[in-house]
Amino acid sequence: MIKTIVRKEFLATLRDGRLLTLGMALLVLFAGFFLASAYELQQLRAEKHSVGTTAKEQWNTQSVKNPHAAAHYGIYVFKQDTPVAALDPGLRPYTGQSLWMEPHKRNLTRFSPAADQVLAGRFGEASTSFVLTALLPLMIVALTFNSVSQERESGTLRMLHSLGVDAGQLLFGKLLGLMAAFFVVLAPALLLAAVILLGNFAFTLDDALRLLVLMLLLNLYYGIFAALAIAASAYFSTSRTTLFCLLAFWLVSVFIAPRLGAVGAEMLAPNPSASEFWREIKDDIEHGLEHDGDHEQRAKAFEAQLLAQYGVSRKEDLPVGFVSLSRQHNDAYSVKVHALHFDALRDNFIRQQHLSHLGSWLGPSLALRSLSMTLAGMDLAHQRHFEDAAEQYRQYFINLTEDWDRERSRGTERKAIGEEADWRSVADFSYQAPGIGFALRTAELDLLVLLLWLSLSIGMLSFSARRLAP
Amino acid sequence: MNAAIPVLTAQNLVVEYRQHRAVDNLNLQIPKGCVYALLGGNGAGKSTTISTFLTFNRPSSGQVLIEGESPHANAELVRAKLAYLPENVALYDVMSGLENLTYFCTLANIRLSNDQAHALLLDSGLQADAHQKRVAAYSKGMRQKVGLAIASAKQAKAMLLDEPTSGLDPSAANDFAQRIRAAADRGMAVLMATHDLFNAKQVADRIGIMKNGRLVEEFDAHTVQHDELEQKYLAHARGLA
Repeated sequence: MIKTIVRKEFLATLRDGRLLTLGMALLVLFAGFFLASAYELQQLRAEKHSVGTTAKEQWNTQSVKNPHAAAHYGIYVFKQDTPVAALDPGLRPYTGQSLWMEPHKRNLTRFSPAADQVLAGRFGEASTSFVLTALLPLMIVALTFNSVSQERESGTLRMLHSLGVDAGQLLFGKLLGLMAAFFVVLAPALLLAAVILLGNFAFTLDDALRLLVLMLLLNLYYGIFAALAIAASAYFSTSRTTLFCLLAFWLVSVFIAPRLGAVGAEMLAPNPSASEFWREIKDDIEHGLEHDGDHEQRAKAFEAQLLAQYGVSRKEDLPVGFVSLSRQHNDAYSVKVHALHFDALRDNFIRQQHLSHLGSWLGPSLALRSLSMTLAGMDLAHQRHFEDAAEQYRQYFINLTEDWDRERSRGTERKAIGEEADWRSVADFSYQAPGIGFALRTAELDLLVLLLWLSLSIGMLSFSARRLAP
Repeated sequence: MNAAIPVLTAQNLVVEYRQHRAVDNLNLQIPKGCVYALLGGNGAGKSTTISTFLTFNRPSSGQVLIEGESPHANAELVRAKLAYLPENVALYDVMSGLENLTYFCTLANIRLSNDQAHALLLDSGLQADAHQKRVAAYSKGMRQKVGLAIASAKQAKAMLLDEPTSGLDPSAANDFAQRIRAAADRGMAVLMATHDLFNAKQVADRIGIMKNGRLVEEFDAHTVQHDELEQKYLAHARGLA
């Protein structure tokens, strides 16, 4: 019986003028936003590659100079976005796109697109994602709000009841039929996206898997909205009441819940201001962490330990460069303090993210958006993974220059020099983004929330079926 | 099946909505081949009686039976033995008459070949050129014919009609009455709620007048005169009887 209902709902929905109109509007909207997003991503990737290559070449071609002075020239590194980011740029508009690597100090990313938009950005930020996560559920609501109430109002529900049609099979058949028709209309948009992505970006297996899982989760998300809409249509006696309630739910899920979640998270786990953050790092380096002593005490202790190690009484008599060793010692402490504060800050970001999930009790959109940006590699966890890799690289090249400085000087002299061959020997920053397993582990809570909403929507559909009366 | 058991029975049937008694102690028996017309004004309880046989309502007391069994105890009885035609036969406008017939029959576990479906529609009076047209373009009479085809396909024991000729032109109403009579002659029991005295007299075997939920008068349709029926009906309607 359910197959017959699914087939009928599929055909009837496709023949319904609303679907065609909405589908065409969706295709135009999606195509416009996706082309803009894909263009923006392509521009960004090209710019990052070009600037990264130029910056490294400038590093490589430095003149003969002291290795530490060369280190202060610095290196820029960039996070390359996955092609999936064309569908969801996630936090990109708000996080920096590049990291400036320099001695003594660990920097935050800089140059966020929100502050430095390319032309396509003016088309609207995260627009493809907005179509997928906000407008498509609205389209589902528009298609399904009267799926049962219309049958009640027209009398076909009485006909079906008189034929002994099981209400559960009727509602689940409607769900499957409507979703099938919906995907037929959605297919051209997805095909267009696939063609654009494959034509313009090199796809790895991991990218493909991420895209596939994102599509699967989007389908679940649409299924949740469709199931809730059909359940509401069966529960309420009129189409008008159903539409009102579903629009309110959509509004809360898409717009209000994420904001409430964010406001709550900010209140419960506030971030330090930028000035506070940097001042605390400076203070901790200057005054030392607990039991470490202040800068002067640590410097004296290090000098004493070094003199004892080399069996000399004056630093001028050391067989290696003291200035470089002292700097490395100070930098090591700086790295420790920076790591402590950076980890605390980023742990707080994660805490805020978890707290913002309180908004997920009001609708599934927050969890889906979070999942979407994680699968696109554009979330906090992926950003942190990149920043940690960049910090490793910073320590690598700073230590390398200090090694040259130390080995090419003695005592307190500052005569060490390096040349182009040295600069060229610094390896390029080769960042390996984490795989889909990392993304799925990161998004465990969001997955759980989405599955809970799916269970709830199926439960509500079953409940409405049990009390469905003609 | 014992032929003596009526196809449709209402025994001391009472149906109440909140404080309102829609059907009040109704007793009714409709044997095989009999067309029973329930006359009465709006709110008399005719449609509620039909809805109770279809299990859209539950009796507050008393019971309805289909061939001696309660549909409220066995919902399968409705699907297997009853056919229902409301005042406006509810069909899916975006589907053709043929598709509607096939869909409803499949849900009733009746598999029809394409030829059988066309034949049923033709037998019900729907012209062949209309079979593939969307129902949105159908007149009310054409919809009634698709409804009749569904009822015929079900080979139901009884047909429940709720104001079936309301809004039909005289020719279509006459055609419809003949098809109902033919169905009864083939052995179907028919319970028909109507305002239409002429139609009731034309097609029914027995006629009952309902008022305020009660069956206040019954007639043999073959012997009662139209004028007498009209006077009685109007008298009850005006509260003079």
